[in-house]
Amino acid sequence: MRKLALFLLAISIVFTGCSKQSAQKKETIPTREVTDDLGRKVNIPLKVNRAISLAPNLTENIFAVGAGHKLVGVTTFCDYPAEAKSIQKVGDTINPNMESVIALKPQIVFVSTASQMEAFTKTLEGNGIAVFVTDPNSLDAIYRNMEQLGEIFGTQDRAAQVTAEMKARLSAIREKVGGEAPVRVFVQISKTPLFAAGRESFITEMIEYSGAISVTRDIPAAYMKLSDETALAMNPEAIIIPAGAGNEDPHDVFRESAAVKNGKVFRVKADLLMRPSPRIIEGLEEAARALHPNSFK
Amino acid sequence: MRTEAAAAKNRGLKIGAILLLALGLALIAAILLGSEKLAFSDLSEQQQVILFDIRMPRIFLGACVGAALAVAGAGLQSLLRNPLAEPYLLGVSNGAALGTMLAFVFFESYEFSRPIFAFTGAGLATFTVYQMARSRMGMNAERLVLSGVIVTTFLSSVIVLLTSLLDATKLRSFTFWLLGDLSQATKNGFYLTLVVGIIGTLVMTSQARALNLMMIGERDAFDFGVETGRVRVIVFATASALVGTAVAASGSVGYVGLIVPHMIRMAVGSDNRLVIPFSAIAGAIFVVLADTVARTAIAPRELPVGAITALIGCPLFIYLLKRK
Repeated sequence: MRKLALFLLAISIVFTGCSKQSAQKKETIPTREVTDDLGRKVNIPLKVNRAISLAPNLTENIFAVGAGHKLVGVTTFCDYPAEAKSIQKVGDTINPNMESVIALKPQIVFVSTASQMEAFTKTLEGNGIAVFVTDPNSLDAIYRNMEQLGEIFGTQDRAAQVTAEMKARLSAIREKVGGEAPVRVFVQISKTPLFAAGRESFITEMIEYSGAISVTRDIPAAYMKLSDETALAMNPEAIIIPAGAGNEDPHDVFRESAAVKNGKVFRVKADLLMRPSPRIIEGLEEAARALHPNSFK
Repeated sequence: MRTEAAAAKNRGLKIGAILLLALGLALIAAILLGSEKLAFSDLSEQQQVILFDIRMPRIFLGACVGAALAVAGAGLQSLLRNPLAEPYLLGVSNGAALGTMLAFVFFESYEFSRPIFAFTGAGLATFTVYQMARSRMGMNAERLVLSGVIVTTFLSSVIVLLTSLLDATKLRSFTFWLLGDLSQATKNGFYLTLVVGIIGTLVMTSQARALNLMMIGERDAFDFGVETGRVRVIVFATASALVGTAVAASGSVGYVGLIVPHMIRMAVGSDNRLVIPFSAIAGAIFVVLADTVARTAIAPRELPVGAITALIGCPLFIYLLKRK
């Protein structure tokens, strides 16, 4: 019993020693305050040199604003740009490995969902690591995200340039398809089970920029399992498939739809449509070209 | 004595007729209701497709799945003399689910590998639970339920392990299917469930007499000339086949095998010659109605039918327990 008590005492001394040390370190670094998408005030160092991204689109965005070399850890899902693949992996978006994250000594960790945040913020902030929550889910939010990232990494000019390019390319697309009647499309998120994107999904808003209107835009949900009957009755004029493993072909209920009969089934790489990053413009351009081939002649 | 038996028979026939009528009504309700309103007097071409190619196959598959699970439950409960014996609680469903998953991962292009693997998985799970529950002193109820829980949990963890190795798209189709989902069924899956369901119900009913005697005690049944070993193998194999095909077609629809035979027993007593075929009809009604809720409650979105059967089944079961 006494031995155990001594052991516990020893351990507690070691730990308090450690925490004191880290507390001292924290104070020596000057910090500034930034606000994340949840309205949380986050203290970050003046100059951020070590960052971790826990979402593939955030990784893309950080590279886009010219701060990719500051990333010391990413998820296994982060596969773009190619350089991201050689960065140390810290697990996937749903289950990041806390030990690996802390071992990499980041100054800031970018997370994309509130659920992630709740689980990890305490541990990370207890270790003097800032947690920045950002979940861009509209075009404006992507632009704002670029700005935020530019400010955090001190690459505002580059961020502004990327945003300007995105806006220019987007207005070029809108100019071409603006006069056309929007095509009634079904965006097939997954084939089995049949999943669609509803009102709260950003893809529903995005796809409208390519001269389309989603037939599932009024369903009050982000993503949902759609009834086969309703899918068939919707009879879309075109089907856009964010293509990936298991989601290459239209679901069987569309066999008799106008889209399939007229050969208007278009596959766009899922990463280009489903990741809120600058590459979404590429995806929209591809979709617009497919839906309105005459406007691009 | 004779008049009493005749009265019981009469009562049984009456209840059977009521059940068949209820099944008819449930099927009609299920056909009338759906996420799309159909103009039945004047069906457009598209509505015909919705009715005949989408809605009706799904309803009939639901009926077959419900019947199969209820018959498997009724048989297992009598054989094991345990009111808690249920495909889901005994690990049989999870065995079938794991089998189906393995078939999906390794033999995706062969559709029929799924029911075969599901049957094998269900059979292995049943056998394991039975062996674990048996001791020199025979088999008692606690041991059986405990073994079932252990095997179920073990299989669940293997399933979780497997799903974490799958990519996101496959994962989504699995999580939905694991909860019981009738919308992913294929025509072949339906025919197989229908054929196995009918044969399984007939085989299980053919063992009803023997099961009745075995409910008194295996020793006594043996003295009456029942080949208890043979009956056991037949009931286990039939239950595994029924659960295997049902799970391969629609995932794990829970509580059907538990709740349905109990309700039937409350109505007609414990004679398996009635309990088994009536459970088939009532199981079909239960799943058809539950799936109608799953299809229409938040239309055009859909819920997994297994969530509905559990949602109805749990409180109903508690109520029945209390009333008893």
